Amino acid sequence: MTHEFFVDMTCEGCSGAVTRVLKKLDVKFDIDLPNKKVFIESDKDTDVLLETLKKTGKTVTYIGPK
Amino acid sequence: SRSVADRVTLGVKGMTCGSCVQSIEGRIGALPGVFHIQVSLEQSNATVTFDHTRQSPESLAEAIEDVGFECSLTNATSAP
Repeated sequence: MTHEFFVDMTCEGCSGAVTRVLKKLDVKFDIDLPNKKVFIESDKDTDVLLETLKKTGKTVTYIGPK
Repeated sequence: SRSVADRVTLGVKGMTCGSCVQSIEGRIGALPGVFHIQVSLEQSNATVTFDHTRQSPESLAEAIEDVGFECSLTNATSAP
């Protein structure tokens, strides 16, 4: 199942930070920097994914399943 | 008696803009035992003043790694 998130990323450094935290979680993901979107393919609870993304200190919003 | 405040400068890689700086300052500055943090984009480092009974250079480096940036203790310098 793929989940769509809005993450307030502004540069390569921001998307790099998101990449690093998601790699630690061991999930498949795709980052769309220009549109500030992150797509995560995982069966984990959305709260877990949300908390992981929030670790980066950025504004994160769950948009919904894709 | 000696103050509990220590200061350390940690090398941080992967920051490219002011938003990266703010993310780190916001997260690390909110940790228990952290009095002050200043992140420099130009020098790729973070200088943290902290309570050494509650944090250590290692725990701070780990917290920065958690935010998503590469952090090294290699050029860590403690204030005398």
